[in-house]
Amino acid sequence: MIWQQLANGISVGSVYALISLGLTMVYGILRILHVAHAGIYTLGAYVGLLSFRLVDNFWLSLFAGMVGAAVAGYLVERFLYTPILHLSRIAPLIASIGLFTAMEEAFRIVAGPHTLVYNARVGLGDLAIGSFRLTETQVLILLVSFLILLFLWLFLTRSRMGLAMRACALDLETASSFGVNVSAIIAMNFIIGSLMAGAAGVLIGVYDNQVWPTMGSIPAYKALAIVVLGGLGSIPGTVLASIIVGLSETFFIGVLSIPFPRDAVAFIAMILVLMFRPYGLLGKA
Amino acid sequence: MLEARALEVSYGESLALRGVNFTVREGELVTVIGANGAGKSTILRTIMGLVKCRKGEIYFQGENITFTAPHHRARMGISLVPEGRRVFGDLTVVENLRMGAYVKKNRKEIDSAMEEAFHLFPVLRERRRQVGKTLSGGEQQMLAIARSLMSKPRMILMDEVSLGLMPLYVEETFNVIGKLHEQGVTIFLVEQNARKALQAADRGYVLETGEIVMSDTSGNLAADPMIKKAYLGA
Repeated sequence: MIWQQLANGISVGSVYALISLGLTMVYGILRILHVAHAGIYTLGAYVGLLSFRLVDNFWLSLFAGMVGAAVAGYLVERFLYTPILHLSRIAPLIASIGLFTAMEEAFRIVAGPHTLVYNARVGLGDLAIGSFRLTETQVLILLVSFLILLFLWLFLTRSRMGLAMRACALDLETASSFGVNVSAIIAMNFIIGSLMAGAAGVLIGVYDNQVWPTMGSIPAYKALAIVVLGGLGSIPGTVLASIIVGLSETFFIGVLSIPFPRDAVAFIAMILVLMFRPYGLLGKA
Repeated sequence: MLEARALEVSYGESLALRGVNFTVREGELVTVIGANGAGKSTILRTIMGLVKCRKGEIYFQGENITFTAPHHRARMGISLVPEGRRVFGDLTVVENLRMGAYVKKNRKEIDSAMEEAFHLFPVLRERRRQVGKTLSGGEQQMLAIARSLMSKPRMILMDEVSLGLMPLYVEETFNVIGKLHEQGVTIFLVEQNARKALQAADRGYVLETGEIVMSDTSGNLAADPMIKKAYLGA
């Protein structure tokens, strides 16, 4: 029972990590809250669903969702944020909220207001060991998130560009004086963050077997709570916070059966942690 | 090698540099001395491209770089040891040095540059797996200098490298600067420690509220009664 809940919690948490990482990476380098990131996540789900209907192959649709999200994330950076970065920090925030609302409306207009089914056959099969059971989509979520997080970690710690990304998050100006093309690195943060959000969109679309225009609304503010909980800008902190929130949601509802709105857990965790650690779990002043 | 003509830089309304001219020839060690807020750091930051100039031109090896982005200037061989060290606090010593060599792609070249850095500052080898922020102030300054040497720059800009260091480290830092100068590295040094700077440099400029008021060989500047009184405390 406990193992079952643990596995459920971790699979929920790893999707949260995929969504929240982009937010933390963008904050880490530009110090702006990229609210429209949840719109990118929804877009990923729609692109994935569309391509699934076209080619009838889940893995190709996952790939398409990720690429579609990455392209959108790049365009948002280039044409929405970059032109207004020199303004007060409230400007990109307002623009971001505006874009997010506009994207939700656009999804409604283009794809219709109702939920669409994303009934993909993944081809992995359920996993059952005694009473411990993981559904096919849970196996899928754990596998895909683990691979993506592994790639991200290897990229950030082993590659030249990953090193430059970490340096830029610490000190953009000094990094530029050592030959780092800062605008390319900023774009890279959006592209990688959006790839992950796109993957999360597709995974949730398949997990819930539905895609709908406002599926990003709850992730939008939950990811915000997770990122603050982990420490704004901290990548390990965000992964940790995502898993903690995923697990607490599962345990509160599944084990303790507390009649409690599930989506409030992230915020309660955030408030509790901020009372003792104002910069989040792994954040710094 | 480097020439600035009538540089004018402003922060908002106030002029930080008011039409400054200077040159640095290949292999020279040139210093700019001046009081706090005279605009010394601004000169170096403008050469690196971190601050835009309102008027004037900068030439590096005959090429007009006035509007060149900082990362392109780094690739042309300009390297800055920034004021306040600006070590990447969460990166290890080795990673900081790798960032210094970012413009280099050849593994062997980077490894041999790192070996040289460890030879120049043995303490950095001991600390190589530590993250930058855990180093002492003096060690961070060594790391900042070593990092800027990693790319084998044609010209190195040093901003207040002795500021806030214990006397022992100040000696060591100037020893290293002297060594680099002997090796033929072109150095442009901005210092509040005018005595040390003039001892090390070939030539010097005196900067007062954004204007160069004097320019001469270091020997002549150090012997000048006004300089003695204003900057050498004699």
